[in-house]
Amino acid sequence: MNILVPVKQAGHLPDDFVLEDGARPAPEALEWRLNEWDERALETALGLVESSGAGEVLVASVGPVQAEAGLRACLAKGATRALRVWDDSLADADALIVAELLAALARREQPDLIVCGVQASDTAAAATPAALAGLLDLPRVAAVGGARREHDDLLVERELEGGAVEVLRIGLPALLSVQSTPGRPRQANLRAIKQARSAPLETLVPGDLDLDEARLREVAGARLVRLSERARVSGAHMLDGPPVEVAAWIAAIIAVESPA
Amino acid sequence: MARDPRHDVLFEAVPIGPKTLRNRFYQSPHCTSFGAELPGAQAHIRAAKAEGGWAAVNTEFCSVHPSSDSRPLVSARLWDEDDARNLGAMAELAHEHGALAGVELWHGGCVAGNLETRMPARSVSQMTDESLYSTSCYELDRAGIREIQGHYVAAARRARDVGFDIINVHGAECGAITQHFLMAKFNRRTDEYGGTLENRARFWIETIEQVREAVADDCAITARLCVDTLNDSPLGIRASEEAYGFIELADHLVDFWDLQAGGWVAAEWAGDDAVASRFAGEFSHRAYIEGVRPATAKPIAAVGRFTNPDTMADAVRSGVIDIIAAARPSIADPFLPQKIEQGRYDEIRECIGCNICASRFAQGAPIVCTQNPTVGEEFRRGWHPERFARAGNAERTVLVLGAGPAGMECAMVLGKRGMSAVHLVDESDALGGSLRAISAYPNLGEWGRVTSYRQVQLAKLANIEVILDTRLDAEAVLSYGAEIVVIATGARWRADGMNGPTQTPIPGAELDLVHTPEQVSAVNGEIDGAHVLIYDTDGYFTAVAMAEMLLAAGKQVTIVTPFANFATFMFFTGEGFRVNRELRARGAVVLPGHLLSRITPAELLGQGVWSPDPVSWHADAVVLVTQREPCDGLYRELAVDPGRLAAEEIEAVHRIGDCLAPRTIAECVFDGHRLAREIDSPDPAVPLPYIRELPALGRARAEALAPSGRRA
Repeated sequence: MNILVPVKQAGHLPDDFVLEDGARPAPEALEWRLNEWDERALETALGLVESSGAGEVLVASVGPVQAEAGLRACLAKGATRALRVWDDSLADADALIVAELLAALARREQPDLIVCGVQASDTAAAATPAALAGLLDLPRVAAVGGARREHDDLLVERELEGGAVEVLRIGLPALLSVQSTPGRPRQANLRAIKQARSAPLETLVPGDLDLDEARLREVAGARLVRLSERARVSGAHMLDGPPVEVAAWIAAIIAVESPA
Repeated sequence: MARDPRHDVLFEAVPIGPKTLRNRFYQSPHCTSFGAELPGAQAHIRAAKAEGGWAAVNTEFCSVHPSSDSRPLVSARLWDEDDARNLGAMAELAHEHGALAGVELWHGGCVAGNLETRMPARSVSQMTDESLYSTSCYELDRAGIREIQGHYVAAARRARDVGFDIINVHGAECGAITQHFLMAKFNRRTDEYGGTLENRARFWIETIEQVREAVADDCAITARLCVDTLNDSPLGIRASEEAYGFIELADHLVDFWDLQAGGWVAAEWAGDDAVASRFAGEFSHRAYIEGVRPATAKPIAAVGRFTNPDTMADAVRSGVIDIIAAARPSIADPFLPQKIEQGRYDEIRECIGCNICASRFAQGAPIVCTQNPTVGEEFRRGWHPERFARAGNAERTVLVLGAGPAGMECAMVLGKRGMSAVHLVDESDALGGSLRAISAYPNLGEWGRVTSYRQVQLAKLANIEVILDTRLDAEAVLSYGAEIVVIATGARWRADGMNGPTQTPIPGAELDLVHTPEQVSAVNGEIDGAHVLIYDTDGYFTAVAMAEMLLAAGKQVTIVTPFANFATFMFFTGEGFRVNRELRARGAVVLPGHLLSRITPAELLGQGVWSPDPVSWHADAVVLVTQREPCDGLYRELAVDPGRLAAEEIEAVHRIGDCLAPRTIAECVFDGHRLAREIDSPDPAVPLPYIRELPALGRARAEALAPSGRRA
């Protein structure tokens, strides 16, 4: 079973951050880590390949050279191949454009299954898996919590409200977006990490893929208008002062707020 | 993160006489066992704090004259110009970092054993101190009083001459002649130095007056006062009457007050001064300090094991104190003020209140700290508490197995030293190792700070990966790909009763009614049986925790130990008296001086240390707190085949912490830190030599060793 796992490096804001003029924070001000849901997607894919006894896991990123750190982390954990698509025209690519590129890649690679993270921790749009499934006309299960092979199908678990677990059967090819894994995703050992540093990593430009670049410009969906800090409004009031005063304050609040 | 504006008040300057504290952080006098004999160690332990932002750093108690010699405990000394020169190095370094330097002048009177100088002790009245054996002092006459006061003045001048900024005429912790004059317990005089408060205060006030006259143009003057001796005796100092009255009488003579409560040495108040976290949290003596304000027009400093800037700011803004005095928090984190100033709150290494620092002083040994393994090592090993040099072999990868105190510390320091990749692996689902159980013991929650501090730092270091829920066997370690492997897999309690006093196991230890501490804490004391006998040959906190846990679970508890006291080591940490009192008050029966020799289902057989006659006890269950053994199986498996290690390109396998030899948490943290600091040395397994401050005889050797011309 061959599986494509699209992954990305997610940006994490430091404790102290400043958003100037509604622009995105400078990339160098962010700490970049492999998106945690993509780690779970990789774990799910590795588990499926391991249990089926044959196949490969291809990890792919649409991103600049910094994305290679995440791809190499995936190689260290056991991904078979890694591939990165980029040119500078993609600097403002949104989820729909990324999905177009991944769809072209999938048509080239013909995987049996595509496993995505349910969303990226930085943009939190959860759009790419849905768009990708739409472009490839694949059945999709979202927010997956576990998957295993049964004959030619997959049995997929989803956790529902209140702790109920739903088990779905889905034929291949298909696309899953992964919310969680039954156990902690695996960690690579140091030997694998060192080997992954020098492992081959294929890089492509959009022109290498069979897609209509003019269409790429047309599919633009939502565009960033503004990024700003959340206005800090809250009903919280800090009770500050000596314990006796704070205690009296709390007693007064209870007296007013509690139903008699 | 920026500093919380509520903490700005902590960084206001405080004028004290001719000097100014640059902020409100004051390292109150605390012992190190460095004295004036180890000037490098003394200077650099204080310098680290001066660099870390403290406005003033102080010596420990500093003897003014050979008639007050504290051996085997180590004080500083200002007996002559040589002492002064040695201590002066500390003032010099403090000044380089913008801090003031203070000296705490001390005469011990009747508590000075004078084991070195062999002078008879002298004090306020003829009496015997409980800390000395078969030794009394003689009562000072008026000439003697003048002489002692002259020694204080001479010492103050010497301190001033080598650059000290603050002269503290110490009279606290129930161990100084100044306080003994003030206290009815010690003062039985009928002359103008005894009787009324004014009379009892006279010696100390005259002394401060004379010191002030000698050095007040150059130095700030303070007095360290015990505001309450925290005992039930009418002969103690009560905050409301004696202490505030004394403050009113002497207020014109000091530039600020340095206040504390409780004492250290005597049974009556032992451990209530630097109270351990098992008994009290931050600023537990606040009630005694709160009443001082109306009695004084001067700034007030008081200790309270402050580590939380909110508590500090509240203590200042509510008007209780003006100066945050701290000893233990400054030991755990010499950079506490700077971290608060810069809003680096998550980097504060909070004191856990274990008092292992004080235990070293009480044994005449150099200071250590559980949280800060660099304390006392600033000079002799050149360890800075916050700076780490990039390792010469930083391209190496390291696997640390075991995330207990030693493993966490080692991984953290390796990360700070820039190793290319450090993997810290533990089989459990959280960091902490043995500390996970220990910090869940009754009253030891603050000890969990050892883990939480390191957890935060480890998460910040990009070259460190913490891998939990993962057990690696020898084969997995060999193929892991690390060039350096550090095994920190801890220790376990012996289940067979093997123990130090007899060096043999205890027959019957294999019976089901016998438990290890791990088994007891795993069920929070809810073991089978109503009556439990704890056998302790360990001497520290584990047996105490077992007793507390079992009592809380409703068990009847009997404690048997061959030692003369239960929890013997805790008399060094200041916990011993209170732990013994409280366990007995809760109904535990304590039998010191007894060995447990054999366990049978019917009875427990023992023997008194002082008698050959056997004794027997009945209990439903036994907990053996005898000794720990290393969990070093993995280390041994790896070390046995050097050829295989070489084939896997593993340069070295080290073991640290309890896995090497079960010890205190402080020693395990130190062990992990030491290995990481020296990971690029020729043989990291062997500690590099440290600077020993020995008086060298050199060329004067022949003359020095010649028979003394002074011999009679």
